[in-house]
Amino acid sequence: IKMASSFWKGVVGVGLFALAHAAFSAAQHRSYMRLTEKENETLPVDIVLQTLLSFVMTCYGIVHIAGEFKDMDASSELKNKTFDTLRNHPSFYLFNHRGRVLFRSPEEEPSSVRNQQALPNPIRLRKLEHLH
Amino acid sequence: MNTIKKYVFYCIINVRHAHSWKAHDVAMASVVKREKMASVSEMYDVGWEEMRDKLRKWREDNCRNSEQIVDVGEELISEHASKLGDDIWIIYEQVMIAALDCSRDDLALTCLQELRKQFPDSHRVKRLSGMRLEALERYDEANKHYDAILQDDPTNTAARKRKISILKAQGKGTEAIRELNEYLEQFVGDQEAWHELSELYINEHDYGKAAFCLEELMMTNPHNHLYCEQYAEVKYTQGGLENLELSRKYFAQALRLNNRNMRALFGLYMVSTSVRSMSQSVQQTG
Repeated sequence: IKMASSFWKGVVGVGLFALAHAAFSAAQHRSYMRLTEKENETLPVDIVLQTLLSFVMTCYGIVHIAGEFKDMDASSELKNKTFDTLRNHPSFYLFNHRGRVLFRSPEEEPSSVRNQQALPNPIRLRKLEHLH
Repeated sequence: MNTIKKYVFYCIINVRHAHSWKAHDVAMASVVKREKMASVSEMYDVGWEEMRDKLRKWREDNCRNSEQIVDVGEELISEHASKLGDDIWIIYEQVMIAALDCSRDDLALTCLQELRKQFPDSHRVKRLSGMRLEALERYDEANKHYDAILQDDPTNTAARKRKISILKAQGKGTEAIRELNEYLEQFVGDQEAWHELSELYINEHDYGKAAFCLEELMMTNPHNHLYCEQYAEVKYTQGGLENLELSRKYFAQALRLNNRNMRALFGLYMVSTSVRSMSQSVQQTG
């Protein structure tokens, strides 16, 4: 895509240059007409053709550089949005969630294991007692 | 034959050896896993520009995938800092908040110190240091930080919102609601705050007021199907025939805005069956 975009940039550049060239030749033609006093003659066909073609080429190139078109519909760009991202309010983020413990690095695991053993009667052991 | 016996004996010894080391291996494996996964760019075969663009996309979409942000961001900061230019400061902020989520206090402190060096008197950086104190559960110090910011600049919305978050973290739901209401009286257009208030009301089971907040959001964002759908869900939860009728209308509206919204479709089905059974029972008794 990057290579393609520099191709289209080249197209836009060439189109703008051709447009400028056509404008310059039209101006030159006008001054020539004034010098030879033939002011009733219209612009030569090739200058007109060059102007139109370079305009079309520039427009086409710009459309390719401009990026993805969006739908006119205001609701369409929300079609893929979900509550996962809508519910997050960055200014109100809380940090007292279980991520503080879950993502703790493994070096700290031994201390949590010790804490578990210190609990008087963990639930799973109580369940086993019932079975007996 | 002898060599085969020796070979088999050798294998058996190794297997037994492996068993006795199993417990140690499990502990080591997590450390080794960390080292192996150290390089995101190697694992996913992406360059630093793609990593930076991914971070920007996550920032704009408000994604809270903190583990991923920390992995990608840490590598960007440590290895490609010079190529990032001025983008690095906002990446520091993003990575710091993600690091607080993942309990990576070391990384959060480094990011904060870099930001402090670059922007010594900035309110935004002070807010970040307040957030770090909140993550360490030092709420009184964090409150003092935010009060200092507000004394300096009474219109600073970020500090006020953080104070409300502290109240929420401490479990003082009603006070948080009161403060947020006062905030919204002054700053009526703050969509994030309205949505937060609706969530607080839902936690307190005050569905009428939550519906009011969602109505405000729907007024300012008429094309957003998610607000319609959440409003319809709150009305459905409130119950009663009028609320169910209203809920059905808003589920239908959400579907009109986005016909791929599965939750709204299911909600429409649920509400319609509830309304039918309710009106049937009303007919039988009345």
